[in-house]
Amino acid sequence: MIANREQFQPAIDIRDLRVDYGNFVAVDDLTLSVPPGEVFGLVGPNGAGKTSTFRVLTTLMEPTYGEVQLDGVDVLEDIEAARRIVGYMPDLAPVPSDLKVAEFLEFHAAAYGLGSRAQRRDRVAECLEEVALTDQRGKWCKELSRGQTQRVVLAKTLLHRPRVLILDEPASGLDPLARRDLRNALRKLAKTGATVFISSHILSELAEMCTSLCVMNRGRLLASGSVDQVREQLGNTGRTLTATLLNRLEEGAAWLESREGVHDLEVAGQQVVFRFNGSDDDQADLMEGLIRQGIRLRSFEEKRSSFEDILVDVAESNRHS
Amino acid sequence: MNPAESSRHPAWKFWTNPIFRRYCRSRLRPRGLGIWVLITVLFAGFIVSMASSIGVRTHLDAEDAARGAILPLLVLQGIVLFILGTAQVAGGMTAERDEGVIDYQRLIPMTPLAKVVGYLFGLPVREYVMFLTTLPFTAWAMWRGGISWQVWLPLYGIVFTSTLTYHFTGLLTGTVVKNRRWAFLTSIGLVFALYTVVPQMAKFGLVFFKYLSVTPVVQESMPKLLPKTAGAALETLQQLVPTVKFFGLDFSEAVFTAFCQGGLVLVFSIMLCRKWRRHESHLLGKLWAIGFFVWIQLLLLGNALPLIDSGSLFPSRAFNRMMRIIPDWQPDPGEAVAMSGIFGLVTLLLIFLLATIITPSSDHQIRGWRRARKEGAKALPLLSDAATGYWAVVLMALAGAGGWFWFTSGLVESRWFPGHEVPSHLFVAFAAVLLAAGLGFQAMLEAKGGRFVGLMVILVGVVPIMVGAVFGSLSNSMAAVAAWLIGMSPVSLPVYASMSLLSLSDLPVEVARAVPRAFKFWLFVAVIAAVHRSYLLWQARRDMARTVLADPVE
Repeated sequence: MIANREQFQPAIDIRDLRVDYGNFVAVDDLTLSVPPGEVFGLVGPNGAGKTSTFRVLTTLMEPTYGEVQLDGVDVLEDIEAARRIVGYMPDLAPVPSDLKVAEFLEFHAAAYGLGSRAQRRDRVAECLEEVALTDQRGKWCKELSRGQTQRVVLAKTLLHRPRVLILDEPASGLDPLARRDLRNALRKLAKTGATVFISSHILSELAEMCTSLCVMNRGRLLASGSVDQVREQLGNTGRTLTATLLNRLEEGAAWLESREGVHDLEVAGQQVVFRFNGSDDDQADLMEGLIRQGIRLRSFEEKRSSFEDILVDVAESNRHS
Repeated sequence: MNPAESSRHPAWKFWTNPIFRRYCRSRLRPRGLGIWVLITVLFAGFIVSMASSIGVRTHLDAEDAARGAILPLLVLQGIVLFILGTAQVAGGMTAERDEGVIDYQRLIPMTPLAKVVGYLFGLPVREYVMFLTTLPFTAWAMWRGGISWQVWLPLYGIVFTSTLTYHFTGLLTGTVVKNRRWAFLTSIGLVFALYTVVPQMAKFGLVFFKYLSVTPVVQESMPKLLPKTAGAALETLQQLVPTVKFFGLDFSEAVFTAFCQGGLVLVFSIMLCRKWRRHESHLLGKLWAIGFFVWIQLLLLGNALPLIDSGSLFPSRAFNRMMRIIPDWQPDPGEAVAMSGIFGLVTLLLIFLLATIITPSSDHQIRGWRRARKEGAKALPLLSDAATGYWAVVLMALAGAGGWFWFTSGLVESRWFPGHEVPSHLFVAFAAVLLAAGLGFQAMLEAKGGRFVGLMVILVGVVPIMVGAVFGSLSNSMAAVAAWLIGMSPVSLPVYASMSLLSLSDLPVEVARAVPRAFKFWLFVAVIAAVHRSYLLWQARRDMARTVLADPVE
């Protein structure tokens, strides 16, 4: 859980959510709360239950059981109200083959009842500008590149200014420039108080975009919070440390090896490279102890496990179990 | 944004419906529309010109010459609206799903009915425009032909309700059938069947089915649409035909057709709205399915029973119109037996269809039980989709047996067959047939799933009839073997029941002993199988409930 429910009305409030496909449990008693204005990431390997969770949140699927509220609106009870609140961009972001970009967006603007015809046109123009596709408004949707298609669908999703935006793999197919634009657009949106719930396989992107995130595996929530909190909750506090010593290399390596939490130590030239499991304080003690031994320490570098590494571990554990 | 804003798209205001307008944009582009309008105008112009030139050549007066164009124009309009329009609705709906954009439409905050209306009028909008381009030609022919509004208004009213009925069928096909080509072919096939196969069913006592087409209303209006001489002759013949009777009421063909089609449109709307509200929902809830079944039964009975005394219901009269004027005409008892059997068979097939709609899949059942466990319940709500469809089938089978018994009594105890009676215990036999076949099917479907049932339908339902037919056609001496083989199929049970149990029945000597014996034997087997299947279903549901309810709640 991200924060105490009593402090605020969560933008997304999921309690005991379960989704079954026959005997397969896609989402297993998921409980999660996301405060308003967050850009919240959902991470997990294939089959983790991300898309099923999104489909329940967006009213596209009825769960086996559970309660889901978006901005205080019960998604299972008041479907139409929930649909006004939510904007959903599905994975692969399909577009109709028989409409032009502007027609596609104008249709959705009309469907959401966004004011007069002129107001709707203005809003469409705004959204097209937001995704840098103003010059493509007269093009057939089917003629767009993958990245452009993603952006058109993102524009459609933003049209009615949803208070909760749910994006399934929005960055796939986007070039670096478009990703940057997406990131900026999402941040801008979050500043207006909207909540963004986003899933992606490009985890570094997600870490950059999100204010907090959660990790799912096999339908269960493994961890949630900031990137560091998630890492900690997943029990992955390990890091690779590299100490560059200017004297007494072998003594220094032997001393390090005798310390608790140090393993896989290797000596390469002037450098001692080892894995260390411990807190930040323990790491500081380690450095101090090395200097007290009279060893001249030129540098001490740290490399934490990347988020990708953690997820690869999760996926690997799925494969082996 | 205020959630109440969804009322901005009221379902009835289809011209402001965004989905309708979206299709107006995509399907009325000048390039695509132009060619189709040109083709339609060419055909309509050709029809009118041909009618005029034939009129000149045959020295018809201007009124008769113009009337000659009306029926061909109606056929053209029928092709445009009924066939092209329906196919477009079914194919267009499937295309939405194929392209993956249907989820966007699900998310639009419009009521399910508004969405249905948007698709219903939006997808075939080009066909509506094509139809409109033929109207000036029709208007000219009607004006020149002196056709009064009392004739053309009900006629076009029924063309409209028929169009709606067929387009609803297409929409439903497109929603249910996953493959675009299949949806397209199925919908065209259904409309084609309505004008070919279904009217033949009307000749076997199932009169209601013919009101699913425009044929009765066209026939009623025909004398006034044809050139005067031909029209007058037809009118004399038609005076022998009574108006549509529904129990004690009298309707015109147009009103009764609108009544029948209106009911179907209502049921189709409910099905589609359920699907738009929740994609996982059954097409019909259990109560609606029972209601729909009873409604169809009432239509069949209410329509057929009043026609017995006049003799119009009997196939020998329906197939040969000239017999209507033979004074000593008498129906053959075999006709009554066949009609009773066919009524039972259609009732059984309807039970199969509705059982398929309301029977929960194992996925539905498991989800239902898990939800019940979470809510601390020990049983599923009786009318929920996840609950068993068994009891609904029991009710339908009993209601069906009642309808079948009523129909058979009406036939056998009519003035045509004095001295014959239908004993009340026959109801029990009819109920046994429908319960055994219906519950066997439903219990198997619920416990084993659709694939298994599909295989059984082929192996037990179809193969015995085919093999029996082959044996039967070999020689008369094989007729008894054929009767036993055909009797194995549950769908033959209603026909065998009528053949075996009615005092009217006069079976050919080759099968006179075999059919009643085969019926009794196979009915016994079917009852045992249904009881066994019901027990297995009960066991499967109990095990599922135990397994799911026993799981610890996290």
